[in-house]
Formats: sequence, structure tokens, C-alpha cells
Amino acid sequence: MPEAETINATDVVLRVENLKKFFPVRKGVFSRVRSFLHAVDDLSFEIRRGEVLALVGESGCGKTTTGKTLVRLHEPTDGKIEFLGRDVTHLRLAADKKWFHSKSQMIFQDPFESLNPRKTIFDIVSEPMNIQSEGSLKYREEKTMEILKRVGISPPDAFLWRYPHELSGGQRQRVAIARALVMNPEFVVADEPTSMLDVSIRTQVMKLMMNLISEMNMSFLYITHDLAVARYMSNYISVMYLGKMVEYGETEEIIQNPLHPYTKALISAVPVPDPEFKRKSIQIKGGIGKAIDPLPRCRFYDRCPYAMDVCANEEPQLTDVGNGHKVACFLYTKKEE
Amino acid sequence: MKPILKVENLKMYYNTKSGYVKAADDVSFVLNEGEAMGLVGESGCGKTTTSMAIMRLLADNAEIISGHIYFKGKDLLKLNEDEMNKVRWAGISMIFQAAMNSLNPVYRVGDQIIEAIVAHEPNVTFEEAKERVASLFKLVGLDPKRIDNYPHEYSGGMKQRAIIAMSLACNPDIIIADEPTTALDVIVQDMILKEMSRIQKKLNMSMIYISHDIAVIAEVAEKIGIMYAGKLVEFSDSVTIFKKPAHPYTVGLMSSFPSIKGEKKELVTIPGEPPNLLEAPDHCRFAPRCPFATKECWEKEPPYEEIEPNHFLACFHPQNLKKQVREYARS
Repeated sequence: MPEAETINATDVVLRVENLKKFFPVRKGVFSRVRSFLHAVDDLSFEIRRGEVLALVGESGCGKTTTGKTLVRLHEPTDGKIEFLGRDVTHLRLAADKKWFHSKSQMIFQDPFESLNPRKTIFDIVSEPMNIQSEGSLKYREEKTMEILKRVGISPPDAFLWRYPHELSGGQRQRVAIARALVMNPEFVVADEPTSMLDVSIRTQVMKLMMNLISEMNMSFLYITHDLAVARYMSNYISVMYLGKMVEYGETEEIIQNPLHPYTKALISAVPVPDPEFKRKSIQIKGGIGKAIDPLPRCRFYDRCPYAMDVCANEEPQLTDVGNGHKVACFLYTKKEE
Repeated sequence: MKPILKVENLKMYYNTKSGYVKAADDVSFVLNEGEAMGLVGESGCGKTTTSMAIMRLLADNAEIISGHIYFKGKDLLKLNEDEMNKVRWAGISMIFQAAMNSLNPVYRVGDQIIEAIVAHEPNVTFEEAKERVASLFKLVGLDPKRIDNYPHEYSGGMKQRAIIAMSLACNPDIIIADEPTTALDVIVQDMILKEMSRIQKKLNMSMIYISHDIAVIAEVAEKIGIMYAGKLVEFSDSVTIFKKPAHPYTVGLMSSFPSIKGEKKELVTIPGEPPNLLEAPDHCRFAPRCPFATKECWEKEPPYEEIEPNHFLACFHPQNLKKQVREYARS
């Protein structure tokens, strides 16, 4: 299959079509599957080379499930994932798995839990090379030092034989980033990589990632609940609500001109670090639910201040409303009729 | 405005095997009646320690080396345990960090609040307490019908509201809220902060908000104290802190925070990491990370002084904001 790489290596790194991930909900005496939790429901998008797509939403909206499905930590229920022109939806051959995992990596949220406490920094960072059986031990050591230096752990030889507990939170997250980048991946999923870090450390790590992304020309899926962070990190933002993508567009366009009522509410609820700024927040009713066997209607229907009859009977589709700004809401798509 | 809480030169150290950890070192501030203040800083900077010292809920190895905490003129550090118990909850109550997980899962939410009321006011009957809980529920925006529910039947935001109701149960003069919205989603956070601000103004209470998030503090507090490595480094009204911060750490903090409003500005990073408080240095604790540090900063600790009315600062080199940001960007 590798020849596909050259054909389509120009632009799109990852193409997702109608991706679905349902989790069975077991109930009753015999733990039979009675219903399904639609964690990711019909997601389609593309990530081009060097592009950062921020996946934004509240907890439980399916953003982490999406990330994990894309790096194949979850088996998708339905849909298609195309990576560098190859279909990677179902990886069955060991060689295919090896190829895919050498080119796609994940950075996890909590650097205190994502690093094995009984392994040294060298073991942790060089493990991907071990698994891929790349180079000699000497080569691995040099490569580890080089990547540690790049993520700002210096001097690297002083850290090589230390354990995670000897490092601060910021350093640990740098090590986790080094581990993800040591194989020069094409695509990285970063799941809230800075939310556990302190304010001053957070900016350092954000800047580091921005530099590395442009230097190494990687594609990033940046998962975050913080729209202000998304604004700084990403080229594109996609807003998720209960497993559905409700809005997609260029970052500044989404921040300045949100269309979906949920995005509007989300943006209006972000506190602004300026005591003189009087923020008008859009009130929405109720709280976020769970998409267990959802009805074929807009998932935001119950909370939406602009809900119409059509929203209760039909599911809105993600539609381009101009300049690549896509929204799934009948307020915009039903206008012309 | 009458001062209700005065913290003077509070020094609180943790006595550990490897020596003293100077968790709160020489902290002084004044909180007036009906005022909301915020304490901002990174983890380990002493904000929670300071609030725990005010409540006198310190760990066994904590030692108050010196200082006074005057609440309505009484020094809390001189009270015995019984007298202190009367101040807790009825005078000063607290919303703890991750409080929504601190509800007991096997008791009804209402009963847990009733327990707090009856413990502090023994002559209140169960029925009266229950009525009070119902009115508290209304105040914080919960349906009084849910009094008899268990915590697992509540959503995160509802639990946080119940905790706020609990903190209000004995009509305290001051509420200390330690990271009250950190575990919540933005939309719920927004609702809870609005609710807390509304109740605080309505009941004319004093509040101390503790948070690492300056955006949250900007929304609710009139006065802000910035803590760094156990020290209160700057204290003033919120507009001063945001519009003309004088301490280099405050400046760095302000310009390292991404905002969703206005132009997309270049984020500024503060190099390095906070110091280990175990071997807290004698010089300015921010000096190793400060782009303006001079010989003086490495030799002695800057005094905490009032540089203009109601603007306290511990720094030898207060400068104006714009110049500092430029310097930072270059460094």
C-alpha cells in the first residue's frame, strides 16, 4: 500500500467521513445491551498538512472519544478514516498497524498519570523507537537527547536517567510531548495538554507546541474546553455538542462571528480578563445531557433559545454558509425556503 | 467602609522532615464589609494555605510563626478551639476546592445542610432548619423539591449550588470560596459565578475568591491580591491590577493569559518555574524569573509597601505596563 502515500501526500493528511462511535449501555439482570450512547455521531472533516484543528466543547460532548478513535485507541463503529491517502478505518495487518502508529501519536491531558512512574525518562521517550525497532541503542539515545532538547528539557543528559516523580508538571508534559514527537509523526492528537498546568507554565508549553508544529510541519488535533486557548493554538475550530459537530470554520471567524446558538452561548460564557469589560452572556436552559439513543432531532433543541418546530422533527446537517464556515442549524439552512 | 477581616504579617510554615516550607510568608491585607476580593496565584503559592489559616483548619505540621488575623476586631489566632468553632461557619464559612465531590453520597443533600445548621444553632428545630434550607435552595436557584434527593441525582452545577447553599446556612459574614468553579464547564461556571455575585451583593457579604484563573477573578472581585511563592506581591483594586500592574509577575501573568475578546495579542511567557519553598531564598523570590532583577533584588527581600493609595507592592522596580511587556517580549 505505501505507494498511496506519494499520490496524496500533498495536502490532506487526515480525512474523516461519517465517523461514528457508539458505546453499548448495559442494563438489567443479564446486562443486556438495551441502548447505545452516541459518543461520536456522524463526524466528517479534513485536516491538512501543518494545520491545527481545535475540537471544542463541554465535558461529555465526545471530543476525547473522537481523538482516541482517530489514533485508533477506539475501534470506530461506522465511517471511514483516511490517513495519507490510505484507508486506516480497520487496521488488521500488523505491518499496517506499525506504519500507522509510527505516524500518528497522542498527547494526554494529565502528565502525572500518562508517564509510567517506574520507567526512566529515556525509557519513556525511546519506547516508540523500541516498538518500531528503529536504529541501534546509540542512535536511540542520541535521538532521545535531541528531542528532549527541542522540547526545552536541558541539559538532556541530566534528565535521561531520572524518573517522572523527579520532574515538575511542566517538565513532565514536555517529556510527554517529546515521546509523541520522537518518531516525527505526521499527525498528533493533543487532549487538553495544558489544562493541568499552571498559568505561567501553560503559556510556555503552548508556545513550545506552536513552534514545534510549524518547525516539523505536523497536523494537530487540539482538544480543549477552553476557547481562549483554542483561539491561540489553532487555524480551525470545530465545536461539538453531544457527539455532533455543530459548527466548523476558521478560528477568528468562529470567535468573532459564531453562528450556532450553542457556540454563541459558549463564547459568551468565557470570562474575560478585564474588570471593566461588561460581558453579556446568553442564557441557555438546563444542562448537558447524554446522547443515549437520541431522537432524530437537533440535539440542542431542549436548550436552544431559538428552537423552531422543524428542530424537533429533523436533524440539521452541517452546511457551508460561505467561506468554508459550516454550521448545523436550521436558523441558517432553512432561511431560503 | 468598615474593615471586617484584617490579616497582618501572617507567617505560616509547614514543618517537614527536610525543614520549614514557607507556605505563607508575611501576608497582610484588609477585607472590608460587603467587599469581594480575589487571591490569585499558581498552585503552591500559598493561597489555600492563607485561607486555611483564616479558618484555622491547618494540618498538624503547620505552624503559625507570627502574625494576626483580626475578624471583627478579635484575633482569631488567640481563640481557643471552642470559641473558634463558633466563628467557623457562622462567622466565616468556606467553599472548599472540588467541593462538589465533598457531599456525602449516602445522605440526602438537604439533611447535610440541616446538620450544619443544627450543629451551630442547637435551639433550631429540625422543621425550622428544613424551612431555612428550602429558602436557601430558592436563593441559590435550586428547586426546593430536590431537598430530599441524594447527591448522585444532582448534576455538577447543582451540587455546586447546594454547596453554596450550605456555606450560607448560618448567615456568615465572610465566605471563602476556594476555586469554586474549577471543575465546571464554562456555561455552568458562568451561571454559578453570576449567582454567587448576586447573592453576595444581595446579602451584603464579604467574599474571598481563590483562583488560578485571573479571568474568573476579574469578573467577580473588586480587589485582587497576587500571590507568588508564599508572598503577597501586589494588592489593589481590580482595575489597577489589570490596567496598571506594577509587579513584574503580575504583568507577566496578565499578558500570558489568552483572551477571547479584542485583538489576538502575542502571548508573553514567564521563563522558568516557581521556586521550591523548602529552601525559600532571602532575596526576592521572583528574581530568578524576573527580566528586571538587579543586584538589589538578589540581596534582600523587597518590602511590602503602599506605593499609592490602596495599591500595595513588594518590588524594587515597579515600572509601567507597556514598557514591561515590551521588555518581556524581548527577553
